[in-house]
Amino acid sequence: MTQMGFYFDQTRCTGCYTCVVACKDWHDIPAGPVNWMRLQTLEEGKFPDLFVAFLAAPCYHCANPACMLACPVDAITKRPSDGLVCVDQDKCLGNKECKSLCLRACPWGAPQFGPEEGAKMQKCDFCRERLDEGKQTICVEACPMFALDAGPLEELRAKYGDVVQTAGFKYSDRFKPSVVFKPKQPVIKASAA
Amino acid sequence: MEENVTIVPTGCCHDCGGRCVLRAHVKDGRIVRIETDNGQAPQIRACLRGRAYRQRVNHPDRLRHPLRRVGERGEGRFERISWDEALDTVAARLIEVKEACGNAAILFVGGSGNQGLLHGPVPVGRMLLHFGGFTREWGAPSFEGSLFASMATYGTIRTGNTRDDFLNSRLLILWGWNPANTIWDPETSFTLARVHERGIRIVAVDPRYTDSAATFADQWIPIRPGTDAAMLIAMAHVIITEGLHDKAFLEKHTVGFEAYEDYLMGRQDGVAKTPRWAEAITGVPAAAIADLAREYATSKPAALVAGWGPARAAMGEQYSRAANVLTALTGNIGIPGGYAAGFMRAYSSRETPSGTRGSGNPVEKGAPPRRNSLYRLRGGTNPNSARIHGTKLFDAMIKGRGGGYPADLKMAYVVASNLLNQRPNTRKGAVALKSLEFIVVHEQFMTPTAKWGDIVLPVNTFMERSDIAPPWLGSPYYIYLNKAVDSLPDSKSDLDICRELAPRLGLPAALFPATEDQALRQIASNRSDIEDYEAMQRDGVLKIPLAGPIVSFREQIEDPERHPFPTLSGKIEIRCDHLAEMNDPLVPAIPGYLGHEEAYDAPLARKYPLQLVTSHYKTRAHSTWHNVPWLREIEPHGVWIHPCDAEERSIRNGDMVDVFNDRGRMRIPAQVTERIMPGVVNVSQGAWYDPDEEGVDRGGCANVLTNDVHSPGGAHPLNSALVQVERSPQ
Repeated sequence: MTQMGFYFDQTRCTGCYTCVVACKDWHDIPAGPVNWMRLQTLEEGKFPDLFVAFLAAPCYHCANPACMLACPVDAITKRPSDGLVCVDQDKCLGNKECKSLCLRACPWGAPQFGPEEGAKMQKCDFCRERLDEGKQTICVEACPMFALDAGPLEELRAKYGDVVQTAGFKYSDRFKPSVVFKPKQPVIKASAA
Repeated sequence: MEENVTIVPTGCCHDCGGRCVLRAHVKDGRIVRIETDNGQAPQIRACLRGRAYRQRVNHPDRLRHPLRRVGERGEGRFERISWDEALDTVAARLIEVKEACGNAAILFVGGSGNQGLLHGPVPVGRMLLHFGGFTREWGAPSFEGSLFASMATYGTIRTGNTRDDFLNSRLLILWGWNPANTIWDPETSFTLARVHERGIRIVAVDPRYTDSAATFADQWIPIRPGTDAAMLIAMAHVIITEGLHDKAFLEKHTVGFEAYEDYLMGRQDGVAKTPRWAEAITGVPAAAIADLAREYATSKPAALVAGWGPARAAMGEQYSRAANVLTALTGNIGIPGGYAAGFMRAYSSRETPSGTRGSGNPVEKGAPPRRNSLYRLRGGTNPNSARIHGTKLFDAMIKGRGGGYPADLKMAYVVASNLLNQRPNTRKGAVALKSLEFIVVHEQFMTPTAKWGDIVLPVNTFMERSDIAPPWLGSPYYIYLNKAVDSLPDSKSDLDICRELAPRLGLPAALFPATEDQALRQIASNRSDIEDYEAMQRDGVLKIPLAGPIVSFREQIEDPERHPFPTLSGKIEIRCDHLAEMNDPLVPAIPGYLGHEEAYDAPLARKYPLQLVTSHYKTRAHSTWHNVPWLREIEPHGVWIHPCDAEERSIRNGDMVDVFNDRGRMRIPAQVTERIMPGVVNVSQGAWYDPDEEGVDRGGCANVLTNDVHSPGGAHPLNSALVQVERSPQ
């Protein structure tokens, strides 16, 4: 089975949020709490010896998804052809009834719920429509730094290596998120005043 | 692909540092999605601002009808009127002011909010010139200090190399330069990443650990705002005392080295400009200054990129002059991998073909050159003394000729400008704008400035008209903006407004080309690098291939006999006679470190101990995009403050705080972060002024706090205000 996944070059990411906005535009998501692509800013150290990194976080379409295991009604499934983790909103009970079990289970906060009561789960769908047309995901095509890539995980590993940890991201052997990184290391030594 | 969707190739055209490809997906006359360049390399990919443009075009707050003020100025109460009534009123007031007071009483503020060659302020300026002229401002808020220094040193603003040339450098110094947020032409950040990946060392000098410093730099040197010149001067001292300067280069290509050497060694003032001297001023350890000096002088070719931000200061041109001169001391000019600093334009697409700076403005005819202007040089800022500096517009409105200004201003014609928000000392501006008899504003939204208008005319966005836009600073490409959707029913383009206003002013309709296409073809035909108009229109972009990187001053260095620098001496001016002639100790002929009344060590610092910088933010271009929900939610607008300064004031992250000085007060959340040096706070510029009943700005408009004076060379002192911060009253 093919498993689709992401590559993220954390050394290139300037934290510009273009992927976040492009995703909201493409998938027509209003301003508010729902973000299929999220951006985290990590700030460590004391002035002037700092480490700042960014993490662009979509859904990692795990081999063994925590959200799928947590869902009480099997609304979350893995698409056999490419391993994408899909949610059936007709089956989803909504966040009021099941207390967002999928979101609580996911170590990376991928499942998203709107502000309305009983909101159904939604999340990064790997731009399935675009994929079907042979196009890249919108985030990959948006990134001005060419820091993102998406495709069959085996191909990404062959191209970029198999590093699965990076600043702000802890890999899970149990869930096996489909992602590889070029991690950013704290190396900067500043000149203290 | 969704059915019934048409993709229109267009672009982004506000005053960010970009100018990027947008491909608008249009369905049933509405933009439903936006993509960017996924074509031929180099791709010109839009940033988050361009990607969010759908929410700006389709924004519920767009102005939909001409408006007439019914409340007080600034109160924001308006009534809807017809276009005929609006245009008749504007024409009548223009004629009235002209007849009673002359054209100099008409202030035309053509802002940077639209960067197309056809729309925005362009047709309005043309119309008003034919109407007999107007008073205008001089001094660009963004860059006047850098521009002045560039002209004084090199006689030109074309001092940059194309970005790909950074790959030829052995060291890059990003001085007050944050292209990850300010873009500085779209390929810049990606190129810096490639430079970094090649192992070329990058050093960032900045009071903030910016996104650029965090992503690209191997070393961060925090520096006290306004003291950059001192560090650059001390670096020159190290380089010369250790004999690391390029003596042959200096001999052959520069004038005035000896005078600078005298200053550095303290031969006149008894103060040697050593790293220890600079440490006390800049807060940068002497050893770090000396190390960077040695590294820069011995890593040839090295690129010192002198950002414009540190020059937006009370003595801003001195920093920029000192940076330019340092590149000359090390012979890093005119060679691949080097960099001359200066204004840093590399390619000509931004420049008008004629290249003249005579305005043809009847109001300015015969006026002598302004004091402290570089009037003997060709190019650069127009030196005409009939112009009013941008920082002094508000003061001039209040005082007129009696205050020493060239005109008694009676009305303002404001186009593509959020004047009140984007010039220093906003609260003074709010008083000043009340003193005018009439204000007309072309706008897309009810901005703080539009609220002060008497007549507000709703103009369309660049998605609703066609235009051609050159890159922001000047890279080898053009954007062709194809109209993607129809204008809102009762809005018009600036050009259409002028077409309808001109006859009311007794001007011929033939002043403007009949159609957009005709006008754009004419614009394109004046530019030799646009060879195929149809292809540019079809693709929405024209990328001009270059044989290799552009390296400014290559000819001047390789063959100085045949290619002198466009300065008065024909050489790089370390000491500049044109400056000496000004006979003003605040514009020395050689670069110098100069204090001022809001410097870190000024007496005022006892009352207001924090230095304010007003950076550019990634979600706005100045005040444009401020009201777009997708961008507003990314980070709340707040004030960056270091934990030690916050703790002293019992401030926690997220607390509402007052940032204030004698000019004004704002109330915004504190963002407590190690990414700013102690003693410095940052409020990014461009958030909209929103005063409450007590006059406290709840919007966080940085210019509520900035000073309405300019540097001797014309810089806006936007990074030179002293402030205090305290917890807001509960």
